[in-house]
Amino acid sequence: MRTGEPRVVIGLFDGVEKAAQAAHALRSLPLPEENVTTISSVPLPDGAVTRDRRPIRFPWIVVVFWLAGALGGLALTLVTYQVYPMITAGKPINTVPPAIIVSFEGGMFAALIATLVLGFRSIGLGPFRSGKKVFDRRIHEGRIALCARVDTGEQERLAIEAMTASGGEAVRAEEGEL
Amino acid sequence: MKSENHLSRLDESKLYDELSRSNLPATKRWYAGTGALLLVVLASVAAFVYMMFTGLGVTGLNRPVMWGVMIILFVFWVGLSHSGTLISAILRITRATWRAPVLRGAEAMTALALMVGGLYPLMHLGRNWRFYYILPYPSSRQLWPNFRSPLLWDAVAITTYLTGSLLFLYFGMIPDLAIARDRAAGWRRKLYTFLAAGFRGTHAEWRRYHVASTLFAVIIIPVAVSVHSIVSWDFAMAMVPMWHSTIFAPYFVAGAIYSGIAGVIAVMVILRKAFRLEKVLTPDHFDNLGKLLLTFTLVWGYFYFSDYLTAWYSRFPEDWEVIRSYSGHYLPIFSLLVACNFLIPFPLLCLKRVRQSIPAMFAVSLVVNVGMFTERVQIVVPSLARRNDPSIWGTYFPTWVEISFIVGSIAMFALIYVIFSKLFPVVAISDVKEQLFHTTDRTIGGANFSTVVSGEGKEEGRET
Repeated sequence: MRTGEPRVVIGLFDGVEKAAQAAHALRSLPLPEENVTTISSVPLPDGAVTRDRRPIRFPWIVVVFWLAGALGGLALTLVTYQVYPMITAGKPINTVPPAIIVSFEGGMFAALIATLVLGFRSIGLGPFRSGKKVFDRRIHEGRIALCARVDTGEQERLAIEAMTASGGEAVRAEEGEL
Repeated sequence: MKSENHLSRLDESKLYDELSRSNLPATKRWYAGTGALLLVVLASVAAFVYMMFTGLGVTGLNRPVMWGVMIILFVFWVGLSHSGTLISAILRITRATWRAPVLRGAEAMTALALMVGGLYPLMHLGRNWRFYYILPYPSSRQLWPNFRSPLLWDAVAITTYLTGSLLFLYFGMIPDLAIARDRAAGWRRKLYTFLAAGFRGTHAEWRRYHVASTLFAVIIIPVAVSVHSIVSWDFAMAMVPMWHSTIFAPYFVAGAIYSGIAGVIAVMVILRKAFRLEKVLTPDHFDNLGKLLLTFTLVWGYFYFSDYLTAWYSRFPEDWEVIRSYSGHYLPIFSLLVACNFLIPFPLLCLKRVRQSIPAMFAVSLVVNVGMFTERVQIVVPSLARRNDPSIWGTYFPTWVEISFIVGSIAMFALIYVIFSKLFPVVAISDVKEQLFHTTDRTIGGANFSTVVSGEGKEEGRET
């Protein structure tokens, strides 16, 4: 019975070949490619069963964080020179080497934090995780879970049939997201 | 052509059990070993508390040698920490096919050795309860850290590297934590559920995970190089004979990688023996690590000779007096370091049967680390003991307090590693599985080979 929540048909496959065959059958229903994915304990090469066409863009946010961290380091050292002016020949001078070093380390520190946040965000982990996600623990026994998001009852029935016909086990529909 | 991958031949549950043997409930032997390590650490802590209340006079530090064991330990442990993350990052980026069983142990070694090493500059400060003076914060005393001091650069660099190494270690563990989450019970399940952060292993998750972990590896490499460069500048920025050298940064980095590789080998041998990882950590892995160690034996030898030659040839009086002391008062240290860092490991590592012998590799790795510790002693002590003015020349010998710090640092590293290995998988399980999944057998003529698939699949009908 459909409750209006997103539904996913999930089936377990013993090997990549069977899962690939089932994925091909699902796409032929037709289900959009982005509605079909796998859950596996090892990364499958892109295209082995499903394809992820969402682009992976250059991580500009890491560059922005690096610059912010470097500026923070520079500001810190500049403040230090104001508090402890080094009087040379009657004038305070700024020493550049410490500023370079602290700025570099500040930038790298910020870039590392940004990489973790970016990684979590792009994967959808931790605070970036939303909604109930489908899962099957049996992937750790060497199975590949093929998952297809369906919009209608008819699609759900056809997807279950396609997975079962391709050798899928424990094929069922669950409420949740891919 | 269809072929069966190596992973499909194995029962994945059994594979997980084999690779996560370190996480089994603690035995009496484990408690006894951990308790013994804890006692040694506590004895060292007691010596530190004694030093804190009595003053630095209980150490062997005295004019002109005001840097001793604590600085030597700092440089040694930071150096040892250098290689784990660096090796792991380079192996991840180059997707070296033999990397999988080495990654986790090496990454953990970095983070844990850095935790140990980072303590010693704080202990060396004197009036340790005021360590927070090195932190930049507005205070009523109008105190502010002086960034012209290289020790402040250390504080910044080590904070960055420790944070980066811990994040790198954690990020690399996420898929394994997800496996552990689905197989554990009780408090462990809660811990792994929290740390796995909801990782499931969808195709998109894996793809993005690989991109992010590669990005991490790319960013951590310059940080690793910068940290030991900055440690070298603690010395090179001072107008002390044999320290004030432009070659010090690359020389220190080479030395750090050298001792780090030896450290990784020693840790791998111990993990292999302790957790019966013979099927995963094979002689071929040690052969590859041995080749890396051999390369860095030569690199270290080259840098050491270059540094030495310049001072030797130019014969500036203050440098020359330090060099003369290498063949006099400090001859035992000089001989030990040259023997342990070059004369013994170089010929041995040239032999394949040594590189493939695990006991031999363990022995060589220990010899190298003894040599690298001695090298740190030689860098710190003779230059200070034979400073520019002969009227202040002196000697240094560590007291029982400092010797307890040396023993305590080894015990502390071992203790943290033992606890880490009890809580988390010490082998990168998902990387091992990925390696097995990508490996298939192939026959060429009368010979059988294991071939490894790499790269991304191409769409059917598309030109590759």
